[in-house]
Amino acid sequence: MNDAEISETLAAAHARHRPVALRGGGVFSGMHRRVVGADELDLRARRTILEYEPRDLTIAVECGATAAQVEQTLRERRQFLPLDAPNPLLASVGGVLAAGWSGPRRHRYGRPRDLLIGSAFALADGTLARAGGMVVKNVAGYDLSRLFVGSFGTLALLLRANFKALPFPECTRVFLATLPAGTRERAFAQVRNLRPEPAAAWWVAGFTHEIDGDEGDDGRIAILLECEGALLERATLDWRAALGRAGIPETRLLDAGAHAAFARLLDAPMHLPDAHALTYRSPSLPSRALDLADGMADLVDRFEMRRDVLVDVMNGDITIRAAGEAPSFPRMVGMLDDALHDLAPHARILSGGGDAHDRLDCFGLLPNALARMRALKERFDPRGILNPGVAFFDGLHT
Amino acid sequence: MLIERLTDALGADAVKTSPEDLACYSFDAYSQGVLPSAVVLPSSAAQVSAVVKIARDLGEPLIARGSGTGLCGGAAPERAGVVLSFARMNQLIELDIENRRARVAPGLINLHLSERIASSGFFYAPDPASQRASTIGGNIGTNAGGPHCLAYGTTVNHVLALEIVDDRGECFTTSVEDLGYDLTALLVGSEGTLGIVTSAWVRLLRIPPATGVWLAAFPSIESASEAVSAIVGAGILPTALEMMDATIVRAVESAYAAGYPEDAAAVLLIESSGEPEEVASADAAIAKIVRAHGATKWEAAKSAEQRDALWRGRKGAAGAVGRIAPNYYTQDVCVPRTRLPEMLAAVDDAARKHQVVVGNVFHAGDGNLHPLLLYDKRDARQVAAVIEIGNLVLARAVELGGTISGEHGVGIEKRAGMSMVYRTEDLAAMACVRDVFDPQAFLNPEKIFPSGISCREMRT
Repeated sequence: MNDAEISETLAAAHARHRPVALRGGGVFSGMHRRVVGADELDLRARRTILEYEPRDLTIAVECGATAAQVEQTLRERRQFLPLDAPNPLLASVGGVLAAGWSGPRRHRYGRPRDLLIGSAFALADGTLARAGGMVVKNVAGYDLSRLFVGSFGTLALLLRANFKALPFPECTRVFLATLPAGTRERAFAQVRNLRPEPAAAWWVAGFTHEIDGDEGDDGRIAILLECEGALLERATLDWRAALGRAGIPETRLLDAGAHAAFARLLDAPMHLPDAHALTYRSPSLPSRALDLADGMADLVDRFEMRRDVLVDVMNGDITIRAAGEAPSFPRMVGMLDDALHDLAPHARILSGGGDAHDRLDCFGLLPNALARMRALKERFDPRGILNPGVAFFDGLHT
Repeated sequence: MLIERLTDALGADAVKTSPEDLACYSFDAYSQGVLPSAVVLPSSAAQVSAVVKIARDLGEPLIARGSGTGLCGGAAPERAGVVLSFARMNQLIELDIENRRARVAPGLINLHLSERIASSGFFYAPDPASQRASTIGGNIGTNAGGPHCLAYGTTVNHVLALEIVDDRGECFTTSVEDLGYDLTALLVGSEGTLGIVTSAWVRLLRIPPATGVWLAAFPSIESASEAVSAIVGAGILPTALEMMDATIVRAVESAYAAGYPEDAAAVLLIESSGEPEEVASADAAIAKIVRAHGATKWEAAKSAEQRDALWRGRKGAAGAVGRIAPNYYTQDVCVPRTRLPEMLAAVDDAARKHQVVVGNVFHAGDGNLHPLLLYDKRDARQVAAVIEIGNLVLARAVELGGTISGEHGVGIEKRAGMSMVYRTEDLAAMACVRDVFDPQAFLNPEKIFPSGISCREMRT
């Protein structure tokens, strides 16, 4: 389906007041509610790399292009776009942006929205429009491209996204360490202050099937080093020394397997071992992340569910997966959901078995500027045809 | 009535009404606007809110203003109204080094933040040339850039959360962590037309342990431009990659003796920061590229003093040009990096044709040009020529896939230019946003949008 056909489809839907459900790779579908009673508009075939000029470090893609496809295109010219998407073979660029996804490398390279420099989109009535461009600095008018980030496809249908790319790091190395009892806080503090700065770092408890490394009494850590070749060995010595000061005797290095190990770390939050599991993410400040993670973990324990925890050391995100047994699972997660939101009001569901995200408070505390968001939704999609009920913008779920 | 109510709300010393005071707030670094009805200096978000409510009651527009260093008339009143100066809201409200962030009031001078936190080993990255004078609130309004945004990004990449007073005087907050539409990104760069920033959380970065600054001289501006594309294309992203042409180099040398070779047709000032190994490898790699592109000189700053001198020349370039011409006009466009040679040729052609001297000093690594057009405003022919060249430059930038403003904003100056880069549908979508946030256009009216653009009704 080309842009003109999408425009016609939306114009017709708008005219008939007929809702449309936008379909991408489905990787982020656990983060929002199901769209009901709408015609599906599948965007996955729209996956052309539209423009790529390596010497400009810019790339423009159709929003159905997958994260893996973009990565592969850029890799051929030793460039990259750190979208940090889970399941990149499925995750579309449009999905990453619509979900407002941001990953563990954002403290270093920025969020996907920070790298977004322009877009083309279709409004609810089918009008085709665009914002920004293919230049890395642009202050001509409002930044509509970024406004649409996090919209779950409710303001406009993103057709094309333009990004600034980055030079691909020469070396990638993953450091894995098992934490002996009593070392976690010191390890966390050391990792936060490492030089050179990690590209990403996690404290992990559980996720033993998804994430490399052996669990210790205090969990384990994984750190991603991305740097130039000239820096690799010195950085390794310095990092190991710093971890040694935290009481960590050994560090395992992954070089050949570094990219795969990193990919597994990105995938873990979206992985559900069975239908009786549910994964939350809560933003937090790095300085408070461990305490909050412990509090959340205690709650899961109290409900006698199994748990896995992942803390993004550099950015503070806490990911916690709770798993239980049928038939008590639905009742238990209902109680857990209430308790978790008392402790971590911004916790949101990333993925859940069954209809968890439809039944539970999957968004956590709604934003302070909710009224403005709703007013924007009303103005951009007055008939509510774009992904109705998918989130909180149209008031169908309050 | 207006003055009495403002005085009741803020106190007499926070309301300026004398003709000379009003005159001081009637323009910015670009343009002369009209005299405002009053200038207020609020001390808190509550006072900003009170001012908005009073002005709105009386139908007076509101113009938020930082230090007035804007180059496109963004802070110049077009319809009188109340100017809000944030000179008294200039605090570093909270410093949270552990989480690498700071909460600032909008009137805090950009450079003061980095100076205040330097001893902690951190800095605030956006560094517009005006950073000694411009405020972070003003920088948020224009999404200000600067030489170092090549590596660090512009203001929008460094704002974590905003507190805003809206067109009705009500307060709301946004954060990059919020679920839903990215209102933080929308508000940054909206030139005070969607809300008034009363505080912001900004990101702090660690000061890199090593920094190298190099100067490369070229026999032609084309060879320098090609070297820029080659550096970026080779996967090297310096922290700054700045170009100056012969006119600028000579002006800078006569003003500052910065150490630039006066016989060069173009000079690149390059900075790379990071770990010492990274700086060393950037040195080797960039040296190889610039030599391959015909550089006649390649020199590293050997001391902090020499580094500062090289930067002083670059940052003072506009001031230096002020010594060789009675007036100058700074244009600001951005093109894809590979189109720099064509863009520079177009600037040169237009200047020659109209017999105007042009100096180019710009953020080459970003493709962000700043042709400085030298003229004498007492000469009507020169004034007309400068306006004509400015328009030609905008048109050519758009033809080359670029934009009409890379970092200065739209304000009054480039309203008409918006129609060069965007179609009516694109602008109408922006106007719909304006309509949601400020339907009666109380906030900085007459800015950004060309005439005749409105939020078009949806199809029926």
